[in-house]
Amino acid sequence: MDATEIPLKEPAVSVAAGDTEQVERALIDASTRVPVLMFYASAIAWLLIGTVLAGFVSFKLHAPDMFSNISFLTWGRVRPAHMNVMVYGWASMAGMGTAIWMMARLCRTTLRHPLLLVAGAWFWNIGVLLGVGGILAGDSTGYQWLEFPPYAAIVLFVAYVLIISWAVLMFRFRRGEQIYITQWYLLGAFLWFPWLYAAAQLMLFVVPVQGVLQSAVGWWYANNLLFLWFGAIGLGTAYYMIPKVIGRPVYSYHLATIGFWTYALFSSWTGMQRLVDGPFPAWMITASIAATILTIIPVATVGLNHHMTMQGYFPVMRYSPTLRFTVFGAMSYTAFSLVGVLISLRSVARYVNFTQASIAYSHMGLYAFFTMVMFGSMYYIVPRLVEREWRYATLIKLHFWASAYGIGLMTLMLLAGGYVQGGSMNDASLPFLESTQSVLPYLRGRSLSGLLLAASHFVFAFHFGLMLLGLGRTSTVPTFLNPVEAEGSEGHI
Amino acid sequence: MKGLVSLFIGLFGTFAFSWLGLTLIPNFQIGHLDPQADEEGTDIYPMPQSGMAERGRRVYVANGCFYCHSEQLRPDYIASDLDRKRDLDPHPKWGERRSAPRDYIFARPALLGKTRMGPDLANIGKAAPAEEESSAPATSGSPAASPAQAPSASLAPSAAAASPTPSASASPVAETEPGEPRPYSAAWHHRHLYSPRDVNRDSDMPAYRFLYEKRPVAGEHFADALQLTGSDAPAPGWEIVPSYDANCLVAYLMSLDQSHPLKEVKSGAPAPAAGGSPTASPAAAKGTK
Repeated sequence: MDATEIPLKEPAVSVAAGDTEQVERALIDASTRVPVLMFYASAIAWLLIGTVLAGFVSFKLHAPDMFSNISFLTWGRVRPAHMNVMVYGWASMAGMGTAIWMMARLCRTTLRHPLLLVAGAWFWNIGVLLGVGGILAGDSTGYQWLEFPPYAAIVLFVAYVLIISWAVLMFRFRRGEQIYITQWYLLGAFLWFPWLYAAAQLMLFVVPVQGVLQSAVGWWYANNLLFLWFGAIGLGTAYYMIPKVIGRPVYSYHLATIGFWTYALFSSWTGMQRLVDGPFPAWMITASIAATILTIIPVATVGLNHHMTMQGYFPVMRYSPTLRFTVFGAMSYTAFSLVGVLISLRSVARYVNFTQASIAYSHMGLYAFFTMVMFGSMYYIVPRLVEREWRYATLIKLHFWASAYGIGLMTLMLLAGGYVQGGSMNDASLPFLESTQSVLPYLRGRSLSGLLLAASHFVFAFHFGLMLLGLGRTSTVPTFLNPVEAEGSEGHI
Repeated sequence: MKGLVSLFIGLFGTFAFSWLGLTLIPNFQIGHLDPQADEEGTDIYPMPQSGMAERGRRVYVANGCFYCHSEQLRPDYIASDLDRKRDLDPHPKWGERRSAPRDYIFARPALLGKTRMGPDLANIGKAAPAEEESSAPATSGSPAASPAQAPSASLAPSAAAASPTPSASASPVAETEPGEPRPYSAAWHHRHLYSPRDVNRDSDMPAYRFLYEKRPVAGEHFADALQLTGSDAPAPGWEIVPSYDANCLVAYLMSLDQSHPLKEVKSGAPAPAAGGSPTASPAAAKGTK
C-alpha cells in the first residue's frame, strides 16, 4: 500500500468555517441525532448495569459467601455477565455510536433512514439482554468473551448487519474523494468485526474445531476483538478528536499510514500469547509473542504522531473535556501495549500466567484506553446532537478524576497482585492456597478502585441524563473544565 | 479510487492472513488427532466421557468454574506445576507430565483456564483415594465402556454393584466411613462444594449451595446425604442431598485425569526436555503425527 495514494483530508477544522459548512454540519448532526443518542443512551445504561455486576464480582472475590444460595448470583455467572455487558453492551454500543457520527461527518453526508439504525440498536440491545440473561440462567458457552449462548449471538449478528450496512451506505454516498485516517480505522473495524465474530461462532459452534483449538480460536477472537474492533474504533476516534479539538492537522500522514498497516498486520496476529506454555504447538504461541513485540511499531508511530500533533497544545487539556479524556486514552493505549509486550515475554509470563495480571491487561485495553476515548468523544458529540452544552464543569472534572484514579489504581493493584500471586504460585514448596491468600489484599484494593469507577459512571450518567432532558446550558461556548484565561488558548478549543 | 481499492484489499488481506495463520493452519496441524492406542489397539487414551460427566461439564461451565480453575499443566522447565502437591493430600501431585493437545480431543469446550484462583484440576479425578478412583468410571455406565476401564471397574465390583443409583461414587465412603470423607473423594467434593470453608478455612471458593437440596429425613438417612459438621450441619431430622446436577458435576471432576502416558510427552521425568528451551517445546509439535 502506497501511503501517498490515500489522500489525506484533515477533519474540517477551520476555526472560521464558512456559513454553508456550518449549515451542512448542523444538518448532518441533526440526521444522526436519534440513532447516535439511542446508541449512547443504551451504552450508558449497560455501563451502569455492568458497573453493578462488577461490584458483585469484585466483592465476592474476597467475600465468597455472599449470595451463595442463589444460582444466578454465583460468582462464576456474574463475572461473564459483567464482562459481556461491558464488551457488547457498553463498549460496542458506545463505539458504534461514535463511529456512526464520525462517519457521517467525514463522509459529509446526512444519515439516510436513521430509523433503521434505531431498529438495529434495539436488536443489539435485545441480543445483549438475551445473552446476559442466558449467562445468568446457566447457558454460558464456556468460551471467554464469547459466553453469549448462540441464540443471543444470532440476534447480535443480525443487529450488526443492520447497523453496519447503513455505515457502508453512508460511505458509498460520501462527498469528496478523500478518505481521512479515521475512516481507514472505521472501515477496518466495520469489516473485521463481522468476519471475526462469524469466524469464531462458526469454528466454535457450527463446525467446532477439536479440543485445544477451541481455546486458540477463543483467544484469537478475544484479542482481535480488543485490537481490531475496539482498538481500531478507539484509535480512529483519537485521530479525529485530537486534531479537531486543537484545530491543527495531524502531524504526519506517512506516520499514520505506517501506524495503521503495521497495526492491522501485527495486532491481528496476537492472542496466542495468552495461552503461553499451554498444550499447543510452540510456534503458535511464539508467533503471537513476536507479533505482540512488533506491535511496538504501530504503538510508537501512533503515539509519536499524536504527540507531535499535540506538541505545544498540551495546555488545552486544561480546558477541553474531550481532549483530556482522549489524550488520557491515547496515552493508555501506549501503556496498555507495553504492558502487553511485557507480560507476553516467556520469562515474565511464567510468573504472571494464571494470575490477575491478565485481568489488568484487559482492563487497560477496554477501560483505560477505549472507554476513556469514548467518554471523550461523547463529551464532544452529545452537545452537537442535543444543541445544549454540558451543564456542570465540576461534574466533568469529577468524572475524569474518578475514572482516571480508579482505573489507575485498578491496574496497579491487579498487576502488583498478579506478580505477587505468580511468585507464590511458582514456589511449589508453598501451599497453593498461599498464592490465593497473597493476592487478596490487592483484590480489596481493586474493590476500592471499583468504587471510584462506579462513582464516576453514575456522575456521567446523571450528566448525560440532564443533556437528554434538554437541561444543558444554552450557550454558544462549549463547557470548559476551567475558566479560559483571557488570551491565547480560546481560539484553539 | 485506486486508494480505496488498495485500502480494502489491505484490510481484507491482513485479517485473512491472521485467520489463516492462527486458526486454519493450526487446525490442519493438530485439529484431527486420534486417541492413542498400543500395538494391539487396546489401552486407548483418551476416551469419550460418560453422559453424566458430560452433563457435569455443562454444570461446570454454567457456573463458571473455569474462571478460577485451570485444567492444564505447564512443562517442568517453565513452571513448578509438576512439582506442586495438593494442599490436603500431598499424594499424588498435580500431575506427572505436562498437558498435550491429545488430552483434550473429546473436550468440548476445552476448559484450559486462564486464571488460577483455585488449584489446577487437570488430574483431580486421579487425586481421589484408591477405591474412589476405581468406582468413578464404573458409575459412568458409558456405552463406550472401554477395555481400559474394564479392569479398573472389575477391581471394585462391590462398590459398583452396591450402588445402583447414578450417584454411586458417593456411596462407598458413606457406607464404610462415618467420619470425615477422604480428600478428593466424591463425598469430599460434595462437602467442599456445599461448604468450602468447612473443608478449608482459608478457601476462597464460593459455596454452591443451590446445587443441593435440604429436605426432611424420610425414614433412614439417604446414602448420599452430605456429612456436615459444625454450623453447616442441618437441623436434626433434616438432611442435605446433592441434586442430579451436583452429582454430574462431581462425576465430571472425578473423570478429570491426564495421568495416562502419552507418546509425545515425557512423563514424570526430572530431566529438562529438549535442552530446556521453551521455544523448542517438543510435546505439542510432535502431536501432529
